[in-house]
Amino acid sequence: MSDFIFYLIAGIMVILSMLAVSLPNLLHGAVALVGSFFATAALYIMLQMEFLALAQIALYVGGIVIFMLIIILLTNDLGVDNSLSRVSLSRQVGKSAIIVGLVLSLFLFFKYNPSQLLTATHRAAPVSIDQIGIRLLSTTNGFIVPFEVISLLLLASLIGAVVLSRRDTKKEEK
Amino acid sequence: MMSSVEFYPVNNPIGDLVRSIFPEPVAVLINGLLALLSLMALVGSLGAVLIYLERKVSAHFQLRLGPMRVGPHGLLQAVADGIKAIFKEVLKPEGADTFIFFLAPLLPVSAAFLVLAVIPFDHHLQVADPAGGVLYVLGVSGLSVLGILLAGWASNNKYSLLGAMRSGAQMVSFEISIALLMLLIVMVSGTASLRGIVLSQQGTLFDWWIFKLPFLGIFAFVMYLIASTAELNRTPFDISEAESELTGGFATEYSGIGFAMFFLGEFVNMFVSACLVTTFFLGGFFPPLLGVPVIDPILSLIPGFLWFFIKAFAIIFIYMWFRWTFPRVRVDQLMYLEWRIMLPANLLLLLLSGLFVAQGWAG
Repeated sequence: MSDFIFYLIAGIMVILSMLAVSLPNLLHGAVALVGSFFATAALYIMLQMEFLALAQIALYVGGIVIFMLIIILLTNDLGVDNSLSRVSLSRQVGKSAIIVGLVLSLFLFFKYNPSQLLTATHRAAPVSIDQIGIRLLSTTNGFIVPFEVISLLLLASLIGAVVLSRRDTKKEEK
Repeated sequence: MMSSVEFYPVNNPIGDLVRSIFPEPVAVLINGLLALLSLMALVGSLGAVLIYLERKVSAHFQLRLGPMRVGPHGLLQAVADGIKAIFKEVLKPEGADTFIFFLAPLLPVSAAFLVLAVIPFDHHLQVADPAGGVLYVLGVSGLSVLGILLAGWASNNKYSLLGAMRSGAQMVSFEISIALLMLLIVMVSGTASLRGIVLSQQGTLFDWWIFKLPFLGIFAFVMYLIASTAELNRTPFDISEAESELTGGFATEYSGIGFAMFFLGEFVNMFVSACLVTTFFLGGFFPPLLGVPVIDPILSLIPGFLWFFIKAFAIIFIYMWFRWTFPRVRVDQLMYLEWRIMLPANLLLLLLSGLFVAQGWAG
């Protein structure tokens, strides 16, 4: 049963991701992207990684795709079909050759080097949100330093955005 | 490892009955379907009830009677409107993008649906209780912004696009305030699960987060009301569909059932927002006990879900009150309010409540 659901979700994910990069209309691509993010979140739920799934939805669907849409809407005519998205036949052939080659080589690689991922996944216990929070902020066994460094980086980028978008009041008076 | 039953507590008598009759895998399926069906029934009936309420409340604010003709006191007016909307011809403007044009009205309603699934209506009346419920609510409500942006673009109309852009900017901005206030509640209650947040307010009226955090609770409550009104695109913040400027904003080109879906989404989202306020600040399904030995047992007799609905509808009345009392603000005033007033105030509030939590003054 769970195998079947996995292949269903994975199939939906692959199809939607391919649509997201190949549809000529950017807005349609964005909608396909939202669908593929949801499918990814469903896979995380299947793996019992609840926090990852929720973060996936909150950050990507609720944040990044919205900003992408706003940018597309702000840009003239980019949402409509244009010559940029028309790719010549030879390039299409080359693209598919690369994809087939990659998939084949991955298949061969895993066939001759059986990976430890499956056993590792079986052994790993599902992680709760509390554990993630404690691990992130603990000083002895945690990631407090990277956490704080990232917040500093965010602060710097926020200040940078304010400086960039600030109007020069002296110039306007002239 | 948690079993699916522990994960989704449908532990009410109906769920137990289904489990006693059917074997395990079928029972899980049936319980899930029942939960979904009850949510659908809730959304369907809520639409009618809320639209009727809005019309009546607005009428009485303006010294009118409102709908009176269809049924006693116009009770069947919403049903008549619904039937009319369903049978109306669905028009698509020329040059509009068919797929997105018809997809967009579904998204706000789906967002409302998905959030309703984690709302604790009573002790055992909750479809799912993920440990990161607050995060889930934040993420899923992004779908309604998505719907509005897509609708504005797909309509192939300048008014629609302008309305959608305004609405997108507004909702994204005010979502920051809402997220920070949710963070405050998560911080003081020590859990991100909605059920856990309600359970942390057990006790008397003064154990609800609105009163339990001295002063800060009331500030947070008022700010949450303001931010959620803006997030809902309701007056005084309805600049996205300002009739006098944009002839209806993102919904200009929608007619019939498409428009009805947007309308339904808006109203159900209002109910969802009121539910969240109830959960975060007003003690959810707990009765407002006063600590008086005579009155308390009587108050406790009323079941939890009724208390929940009473509180939620009180909040809805406040939203309607706002709508029919305040004039609309301008776009720049709205952005000023969020970025220059609400955001710094929010950060200050968060800092202060962090101090409260660290000192152990809160709860």
